[in-house]
Amino acid sequence: MNRLASFGRLRHVPRTLRSTRTVSCRALSTSSTAASGYNVTDSDIATLAKRHQHQLSLADLVKHGRPPLSEDSLLSSANFTLGLLPIRLARRIQALRNLPYIVVTNPNISRIYSTYVHSLSILLPYWHAAAEGHPIATLDEEIKFTNTLAELVATHTDTIPILARGFLECRRYISPPEVTRFLDEHLRARIGTRLIAEQHIALHFSSQPHFDPEASPTPCPEHPSFVGVIDTALRPATVVESCAGFVADICELRYGTRPLLHVNGEPDTTFASIPMHLEYILTELLKNAFRATIENKSQEPVVVTIAPEPPLPVTDIPSIKSPGSDRGQFRSDAIRPLDDNAPGVTIRIRDRGGGISPDLVHNIWSYSFTTFSEDDEFPGSDNGGGGGNDGLNAISGASAGISSIAGLGYGLPLSRAYAEYFGGGIDVQSLYRWGTDVYLRLKGIGKIDP
Amino acid sequence: MLSNALRNARKSRTLTASPIVLDGPWRASCVPVASPMVQTRAVNSNQAWRPVRVLDEWVSKEARPISLRQLMVFGRSLTEKRLIDSANYVRTELPTRIAHRLRDMQLLPYVVVRNAHINDVYNLYYNAFDTFRKIKEIKTLDDNDRLCEVISANLKKHLTVIPKLAMGIHECEGLVDAKEMDQFMNTILKSRISRRVIAEQHLSLTETYNSPYFSPGAKLSESDFIGEVFIKCNAKNVIENCADTIKKIARSINPPDVKIPEIRIEGHLETSFPYILSHLEYIIGELLRNSVQAVIDRHQTHGSPDEPPPPIEVTIAEAPKHATIRISDRGGGIPRHELPYLWAFSKGPLSQQRLRNLNRVPRMAATMQELSVEDEAELGRADLKTPPYQSSLASLTSRPPDLRLGMGLPLSRVYAEYWAGSLELHSLAGYGVDAFLQISRLGNKNEQVITRASMDAL
Repeated sequence: MNRLASFGRLRHVPRTLRSTRTVSCRALSTSSTAASGYNVTDSDIATLAKRHQHQLSLADLVKHGRPPLSEDSLLSSANFTLGLLPIRLARRIQALRNLPYIVVTNPNISRIYSTYVHSLSILLPYWHAAAEGHPIATLDEEIKFTNTLAELVATHTDTIPILARGFLECRRYISPPEVTRFLDEHLRARIGTRLIAEQHIALHFSSQPHFDPEASPTPCPEHPSFVGVIDTALRPATVVESCAGFVADICELRYGTRPLLHVNGEPDTTFASIPMHLEYILTELLKNAFRATIENKSQEPVVVTIAPEPPLPVTDIPSIKSPGSDRGQFRSDAIRPLDDNAPGVTIRIRDRGGGISPDLVHNIWSYSFTTFSEDDEFPGSDNGGGGGNDGLNAISGASAGISSIAGLGYGLPLSRAYAEYFGGGIDVQSLYRWGTDVYLRLKGIGKIDP
Repeated sequence: MLSNALRNARKSRTLTASPIVLDGPWRASCVPVASPMVQTRAVNSNQAWRPVRVLDEWVSKEARPISLRQLMVFGRSLTEKRLIDSANYVRTELPTRIAHRLRDMQLLPYVVVRNAHINDVYNLYYNAFDTFRKIKEIKTLDDNDRLCEVISANLKKHLTVIPKLAMGIHECEGLVDAKEMDQFMNTILKSRISRRVIAEQHLSLTETYNSPYFSPGAKLSESDFIGEVFIKCNAKNVIENCADTIKKIARSINPPDVKIPEIRIEGHLETSFPYILSHLEYIIGELLRNSVQAVIDRHQTHGSPDEPPPPIEVTIAEAPKHATIRISDRGGGIPRHELPYLWAFSKGPLSQQRLRNLNRVPRMAATMQELSVEDEAELGRADLKTPPYQSSLASLTSRPPDLRLGMGLPLSRVYAEYWAGSLELHSLAGYGVDAFLQISRLGNKNEQVITRASMDAL
């Protein structure tokens, strides 16, 4: 069975894992926004970048209500999104512009820079209109706007590998700590920006006026437990099992063996989170665990422990009403702002892969180009490079919906960025010559009523 | 501002400086021993004025760090000359290190050093400093014997330091910046370990030299100690011994129907390394104590009485340069409200509880007053092969597991990091805790001393 092809049918797997999709505009108007010729001025960028960048929370994503949204809520979501995105884009442009000249003129970096400027240019007309008292007020305008968002998401899909290649080419001109600092901030901001856009797109396609989840260019699951890209009843054990199966398949193809997986703790735990983030993280972590197990020639299984945090004694935890089967009802009253003390889940991945040598342990969080020497081939280059033939590195390439890393060693720092984005984190503890324990801490969104 | 009692006391001495007032100036030539104006002691005790220039002189000297390996090498080829060298090293190193800590204490907020317990420690240290700095160069074995007597006496006197400091810290909760107090505690405890190691190593070497069985250059077997350093600490044996002790204590204090969890050991069971046995036993003891208590507590609330509680799993991993010991329990993890204070000596809202518990530790209350005679026997070195239990650690180690003092983890970390190792904890909330103790196997890493230079640089 070709597992990769059948992936699309699995519930929690984002469609974009299959390939980088081009924008499907069946339900959207085919005219792109009229502002592709809009000139972004320095003053635009400076003004926008000065404004406060909203710290995105899971609550923001659900505050417009549970799908299917009514027209009013949909417009509210559109305007909320419009209020955030140009500021975020401007700040990214500002950050890029402050890199050394020789770095930004590198063809790869320059390409990303242009893409950001273009994205801002297609949003600015809406921004200026809203500033003059004309927010998005009709369904037609909302369709055009959402179309713009879809274009934005699609054109920025490959940002990370292109940036990575660019920085690698520039390694003589910019120090690893500087690049790390830039990338840490950039990738974290990018997570939020994409999430805002993808959430609105998903809400659009599951709203009352436009109900058509199939047509969404980004994940838009239909199950009622979903609020846009958030699954309020996500069962981490299911994600672990599906990702592990996927990784094990690749191992079998590449190495001829298939490490065992054992899940313990409380596998039936569910909590509210974003499936595509969790899938990315778990795929990366399981990839590391499985590869180490195979290379260490161990027969021991990789053991994943799922530990839900105990419910808090605090009485005013916000509650989210459980999903009803009737999708036709508008349930905006069900969502309340995020409580910072929402109990989460800790997932421990324990392997017998021999651990990480103490000399290398401090390197695991750096973006891999920092460990390159002058003579190294670029990984993931057309010549095949170091690790380019490795099937496991190709997995990162397959998860193109998030980023196609193609063996560039961004997996751990990027996973950590995802985990930390909503207040979680990842810790790695090595027992050299025995194995490694990885602790993935995830924050929840609030108590879910039975 | 001063009471009449103080003024009268002062009149009886010849003074060159004006009396100290809270916010008055003091002459550069004198600094007072802090006199606490608390009800528990006579106001005019400890009024000795000591010249600060002497302290300044010693503070400007750097501490000379040593490694376990050096301790061992020193002992392997023990001659009279080496013993005298060791004596002179101790003679100058001790007052240097004490001087640094005295200066630290003098710079602490007034309200802290005024606390009765902290003040006791301050005075103990000052007297020790005074005593050691006056010792002249050691030239003969007789000189050395006299030095050893002084060292012994001091070690005994200072047994009370840890509980006093702990109580002082808890009592000062809320009066001063918690971070500053933690840093102070870490520094002073690290230094204390260093001084005791140096001192006890020398005592032990002297005893070896003086023993009828000793001949210079004799080869020591691997189960031997070189002074305090156990040449081949076998991790599995140490863990098993600690586990037995902890389980026995837990069995004795819990009702018979409560099941005690099993402690399983797996991994590289032959792992061994040179270490100071009592340090290792303390750390492992604290970790196992925490795990056992957590598992028992959790099993009573969440487990079924027919089933045994989940076992505690200890894994030993041996690498060329270091060994790692992982202790994994399913005791429910660390409650969220305790996490911020896990590694701190100041416990925030939990301080009052810990203070009460400190008063309940057997013999700790006793050590607050006069030290009882029975301690002397424990310090005796009748048996060369097995060093005696360090009394200060012994009273802590033998306390019941449910007596939580709030010091175990931070103090264990001080010990672990002392020989360039590390101690980390990962909690799976609602499930359990994994503790990771990393130990350098070669013993050639220098002790991590805090010098004034590095402190001022912080």
